[in-house]
Amino acid sequence: MKILATYYKEFLLLIRDVGGMAVIFLMPLALVIVMALVQDAPFRDYQELKLDVIFVDQDQAELGRKLSQSFAQSTHVRLISKNDSSESNRLVRNGTYKAAIILPTHASAALQEKTRQLIARVLHQAGLPTALPDSVNRPAIGVTILFDPAIKSNYKQALTGAVSKIFADVQTQWVIDELQSQLTEGESTHSTLPFDPSQMIQVVQKDAGENRNKGIMMNSVQHNVPAWTMFAMFFIVFPLAGNFIKEREEGSMLRLRLIGGSQLPVMVGKFLFYFTICLAQFVLMILVGIFVMPQLGLNSLELGDGLGMVVTACAVAIAATGYGLVIAVFFKTPQQALSFGSVSVVILSALGGVWVPVYVMPEFLQMVSRFSPLQWGLESFNDLFLRHVSVIHILPNIAKLLFFGLAALLLSVLIHRSRTIS
Amino acid sequence: MSDVIVSVDQITKQYRGSQSPAISNLTLSIPSGSVLGLLGPNGAGKSTLIMMLCGLLRPDAGTISVFNLPIAGNETQARKKIGVAPQEIALFPTLTASENLFYFGRMYGLSSLFLKKVVPDYLDKFGLLPKSGKRVETFSGGMKRRLNLIAALLHQPQLLILDEPTTGVDVQSRNMIVDFLQTLKTKNTTIIYSSHFLEEAEKICSHVAILDEGNLLSSGAIESLKANHPECSTLEELFLKLTGKNIRD
Repeated sequence: MKILATYYKEFLLLIRDVGGMAVIFLMPLALVIVMALVQDAPFRDYQELKLDVIFVDQDQAELGRKLSQSFAQSTHVRLISKNDSSESNRLVRNGTYKAAIILPTHASAALQEKTRQLIARVLHQAGLPTALPDSVNRPAIGVTILFDPAIKSNYKQALTGAVSKIFADVQTQWVIDELQSQLTEGESTHSTLPFDPSQMIQVVQKDAGENRNKGIMMNSVQHNVPAWTMFAMFFIVFPLAGNFIKEREEGSMLRLRLIGGSQLPVMVGKFLFYFTICLAQFVLMILVGIFVMPQLGLNSLELGDGLGMVVTACAVAIAATGYGLVIAVFFKTPQQALSFGSVSVVILSALGGVWVPVYVMPEFLQMVSRFSPLQWGLESFNDLFLRHVSVIHILPNIAKLLFFGLAALLLSVLIHRSRTIS
Repeated sequence: MSDVIVSVDQITKQYRGSQSPAISNLTLSIPSGSVLGLLGPNGAGKSTLIMMLCGLLRPDAGTISVFNLPIAGNETQARKKIGVAPQEIALFPTLTASENLFYFGRMYGLSSLFLKKVVPDYLDKFGLLPKSGKRVETFSGGMKRRLNLIAALLHQPQLLILDEPTTGVDVQSRNMIVDFLQTLKTKNTTIIYSSHFLEEAEKICSHVAILDEGNLLSSGAIESLKANHPECSTLEELFLKLTGKNIRD
């Protein structure tokens, strides 16, 4: 009865505090939406964006044609043809374009000649009658890719790799052509054995999640909705500690201290109420992820195992409320509690991978991040939403969150009780 | 009347960082059914003594017994029989008068049925019934004081401790509170009443304890104290004689 009375009292206090309601529901809502929109572009950078690349084809022959044909089918690179290499250089340098591929004059002819000479040499060494090449040791053909200094290194690697692969495929075709030509003593100068590299070896991308048919790529919504929802849930420290200290300063807490046996029900009642609020925040944010994000041109949030999601949400809510309660009872002034509470939540969230993924952090921080409850929660949500694991796989993180939350609740009851009698 | 309900035996309390004790070797007995005026200038140790009687502060030395039980270790049991109206307005400002009383009543373990009966009664008695649905933050100082007192009475305590219950209220509210306390006297409720209003104390109290700088200067029935100091015709004169006229911080 005392717990229910406290729960109802907290409800009344909150619904009459418009500012508090805004902090609990509107601010996180705005945060999730803004962060998802802001981070949409960087996420698309990795997965969806089409990169405009200048192509200066001074060769005007086979290599350039193959390059254009290959990138025409690419979903990631769009070639923009230009004639002037110095203008291209300028456009890349000032960031208008991220990269420029400059294929020098006679590149195709030179590569073809080098291939012919190489094959002739091989055949000669094998004892077959063929004319020895005269200039095998010509320098390699220099294809230049100019990059904007601000471009990410993974772009550089991807584009360089793609260009190299296209040229390697062309050269392989030419090797086959030349072999055929030399072995048939020049009777045929055209390939009769078309080479399709995809028939030789295939590198297939597959989702490693349990449910392989439903692989969901990490995107801004998939990352930001659970991440910032947890951030908002941990920010429950703000209204919780604020109200708690206000009650202490206004005197109502003194009256509760004067009522025998009221401390545990008061703490549990508060805990349960703010736990419910955290869950309400979670439900609201998930609904926003599913229904509002697509209206803003973003992906819709895809959920995983329902039971796992409920269990994780409850565990995060328990951890967040417990943390808020400890801050509330430990600090004596609202300034101390709110400053420490908000800064510590920002630090825990940064360590937990809310701002940037944990795997891009330095090794030391990755180790430290294992102690952040937000990391336990985010990892569980990623496991559920992206890797489609079942609830069994996330139990270790759930256990950590529950332990953290219940230990915090116990600690707050002990601190509060110790301060009741001094 | 002769049973001792509160027994304070040689208690001392010194706050951390303080140069002198807030209470020094104080011994006091409060008979059941009496109204004890706890009097003293600022810094005398009245509020400290009240906090110790409620079990919120522990003395450094000495013992306090309430209802024949040492308060240390029996705080929960003792508090069920004690009602305290603290000096601060110990209410939730954004809750209504009724909501405050229902909540505190529930925390005392009182049933909803009981509260539905007594809350309107008390609100009526203290002239607050028409405002029962209004938030406390909209109340005047006098209304808040009256509600603060009701919150201490809900569980019908045997010992009522009032720490300056009439501070900052108008004459009408003060009269209402004093009249109510006088009716409580007749119901054998023991009252500890701390105040700076000596005329009011003289009107309500059967006994007084005068403290200054943590020391008990004098205690006993008002009439016998006055008889011991025939030069003092009023409690105020006696108070000034014992505590002096120096201004306190």
